[in-house]
Amino acid sequence: MLTKISGGEIIDPVNGRLGKGDLWIRDETIVEPPAGGNADRTIDASGCIVMAGAIDIHSHIGGGNVNTARLLLPEQHAAHVARPAATPLSNAGWSTFETGCRYARMGFTTVVEPAMSPGAALHTHLELADIPIIDKATLAILGNDDFLLSMIRDDASEQMIEDYVAWTVGATRALGVKVINAGAAAAFKENVRTFSLDDVVPSYGVSSRKIVKTLQAAVDRLGIPHPLHVHCNNLGAPGAADTAAETIAAAEGVPLHLAHLQFYGYGTEGKRKFSSAAARLAELVNGTPEVTIDIGQVMFGQTVTISSDVMRQFSARGSASPKKTVIHDGDGNGGGIVPYRYSKDFYGTIQWAVGLELFLLINDPWRVFFTTDHPNGAPFTAYPALFELLMSRDARDKMASGVSGRAMALSTLSSIAREYTFEEIAIMTRAAPAKLLGLKDRGHLGPGGLADVAIYRKGKDIAKMFGAAAFVFKNGDLVVKDGEISHYRWGKALRLNPPPDKAMVRRLREYHERRYGLSLDWFTFPDSAIAREQPFGEVSCRA
Amino acid sequence: MAVAWIGNRETLVERACEQAAMLLQSSRCPVFSLDTDIHGTRAAIALAERVGAAYDHVDGAALARETALFTDKGAMTVSPGEVRRRADLVAIVGELPAAHHGFVAELADTVPDLSAKNAREFFLIGAEGMEAPSFLGSRKAPMLSCEGAGVSAALAALRAQCAGRRVSKPVSNFDAFKTALADARFPVFLFSGHGADSLALEMLQGLIADINRKSRASALHLPASESGWGGALASTWMTGFPPRTGFARGFPEFDPWRFDVARAIAAGEADLHLWISAGAAGTLGKTDGVALIALAKTAMPIADADVTIAIGEAGLDHDAVVYSGRTGSLAAVEAGKASDLPSAAAVIRQIAEHFPAGAALPC
Repeated sequence: MLTKISGGEIIDPVNGRLGKGDLWIRDETIVEPPAGGNADRTIDASGCIVMAGAIDIHSHIGGGNVNTARLLLPEQHAAHVARPAATPLSNAGWSTFETGCRYARMGFTTVVEPAMSPGAALHTHLELADIPIIDKATLAILGNDDFLLSMIRDDASEQMIEDYVAWTVGATRALGVKVINAGAAAAFKENVRTFSLDDVVPSYGVSSRKIVKTLQAAVDRLGIPHPLHVHCNNLGAPGAADTAAETIAAAEGVPLHLAHLQFYGYGTEGKRKFSSAAARLAELVNGTPEVTIDIGQVMFGQTVTISSDVMRQFSARGSASPKKTVIHDGDGNGGGIVPYRYSKDFYGTIQWAVGLELFLLINDPWRVFFTTDHPNGAPFTAYPALFELLMSRDARDKMASGVSGRAMALSTLSSIAREYTFEEIAIMTRAAPAKLLGLKDRGHLGPGGLADVAIYRKGKDIAKMFGAAAFVFKNGDLVVKDGEISHYRWGKALRLNPPPDKAMVRRLREYHERRYGLSLDWFTFPDSAIAREQPFGEVSCRA
Repeated sequence: MAVAWIGNRETLVERACEQAAMLLQSSRCPVFSLDTDIHGTRAAIALAERVGAAYDHVDGAALARETALFTDKGAMTVSPGEVRRRADLVAIVGELPAAHHGFVAELADTVPDLSAKNAREFFLIGAEGMEAPSFLGSRKAPMLSCEGAGVSAALAALRAQCAGRRVSKPVSNFDAFKTALADARFPVFLFSGHGADSLALEMLQGLIADINRKSRASALHLPASESGWGGALASTWMTGFPPRTGFARGFPEFDPWRFDVARAIAAGEADLHLWISAGAAGTLGKTDGVALIALAKTAMPIADADVTIAIGEAGLDHDAVVYSGRTGSLAAVEAGKASDLPSAAAVIRQIAEHFPAGAALPC
């Protein structure tokens, strides 16, 4: 089918296309305007912004910990109104089905679940496969697992480490690797309660820094497009900016991605010893070109924190609201679920302001990524309101007038005039994520690109505009019309497929049989286990 | 071999599915009892949404106790792999389901290689007079119990004594436990909704929270039913809720009392019962005024069922995804002895094809 999207304001920074024009789609692909120009279908996009489908690089949308959070909080996801018959199960308050529909309505077409425990890869992919419409991907968690820590302790060769990382990524169908509070979950099992970058994991004699550097190097040498995705130590602690600064310095010229930097943007100034250190961190990021970050913006209201940083979550149990938590010691990281309500008090305001400061003080939209660390800072449904805060100083000032004045006095936010442009939004939420993840077929509107297109009706109300897209195409299918789901389809999970090293597979078989009394087969699965046609799409590693 | 019946009459699977679809559509209050693999559960929940049914596990009471621990209280838990490698003290809470005896025997035969102690001690927490389980072999496992009391009271007294409080009925072998706990680096309590009631599960988590103030401890959940817990996981990601969820109003509602399927049938609220299990169908009884559709591994029609359709056993007759208590997650299992018997998921989808103008089920 040949589709013409006519007369929209096209914003495609990758191809330098900014301004009114037409966009042509043939089946799944964006194409050059055809000779003759007879479209089978024409979409009138006059008065609209036309962008590539948005890509979320860090959103906890599926897997063991997410599902445990659902289980813990049945009262937090009361069902909504009846939905159109064409969208099965998408009226469930917090379900896989609802997740896909809500993302699609906002013009998001690819979302990365950033924390997959390798032992729960099948569970994670089954959940992702039940998220309709959009494409998904996951990052495999390493860095607290006995196999890796033992190899580092025993000075295993770089090649062996790479073989293990490659096997993990391939077997779990991941798009990259994440390390979460490296070494801390292993240390917590030995009753260690705080853990910093140069602390050493008991019994292994390996520092957190060593784990991060080992994985960073392995990911880089393997040609995995996405740099090592790092959840630093000391998340949420006053003074965590020091840890983040040390981790940024530890990049040492090799690409490194720091997740949800907002949660580390805290200094120790003021009477409460809790202040914004966002300006300092932004300056460091601006001066360290090999580092990319996503924000993890806090928005006010009820949410639930879900993290494989089990040590941190255990320490946060006292702040749970409502007062119930799950803390799980897993084979590697495990995880913790702590419900939380961000209020407009001093602490909540500092967190809210730190995120916005980072967004606005980091100069390069190619290196700062739009996330709330869903649902940790806020549910992804808060994205439209967040777009408004980034694009309108007036909106920020209005919001700031209702929050803690004492906290705002310790933040630079009120003095920042910057407003994101549509072009910067397109870079931050489309072009840059595609580049960061190695997804060459998306994030732009050039001929040959995948026809993932989001069309927003331009208006003064930015949140309304981004909350309900006028039209969304996924793989050329019109899936959203006037903010409602118009067509149901199943996306894929994007994965790397590095070939496994046979010696490493033998070693892992022996390890699992000896240490766990189980065949390695218990931890792997065939694609057919997902029970959907073509559940995976393959992405190439760098040559 | 016949594989479908309407009443006692053999028929084609397609005819039986058509009849089942007719009964489901005409039902005003259908209820489902599930005991199947992940894909069977997914298909059944999708069907439940289509016909406005409520669903529960066939052993709904035990599963409800386990889900209530999470929905109401929260928990500290640990993976089975970490228990094998790290637990230097294992305390078994109440009777454990037979499906997990092999793993506990394995724990008794191994030592924790990630523990400095390289040894494992066992204790039993239970009602007075509870017999030592045979799967522990010759392993010593002192009993922690209170005179004339059940497992909940024993746990309550144990928690109180661990906190240095006085109790009216002391726990047997408490001094041995106290010494072992002081020496342990990673004690783990094994629990199940099979052998412990809700109060016991809550008290156990209180004890673990107390221990974790200064040292480490956790609990291993060994589900009363692996199909039940696997189904609970799938239900939770599909609807936001574990079983005892219903679609009567067009959207999922979680209500552990209202959607207790056994209660709904006994109270005369339900008018159709869809029973899905490749396990023993002999326990399935017919209730007056309740149409019965049985998907079961059977060579003959289920007594008094309006429709019976034979299905295969997950992991034996067909490949499947199931919850494994041994790994603490979902696992893909190959058919042990592949047969032509269809999976529950395949039959459910075939039933849904007979609904007028309905799109295919999403699972």
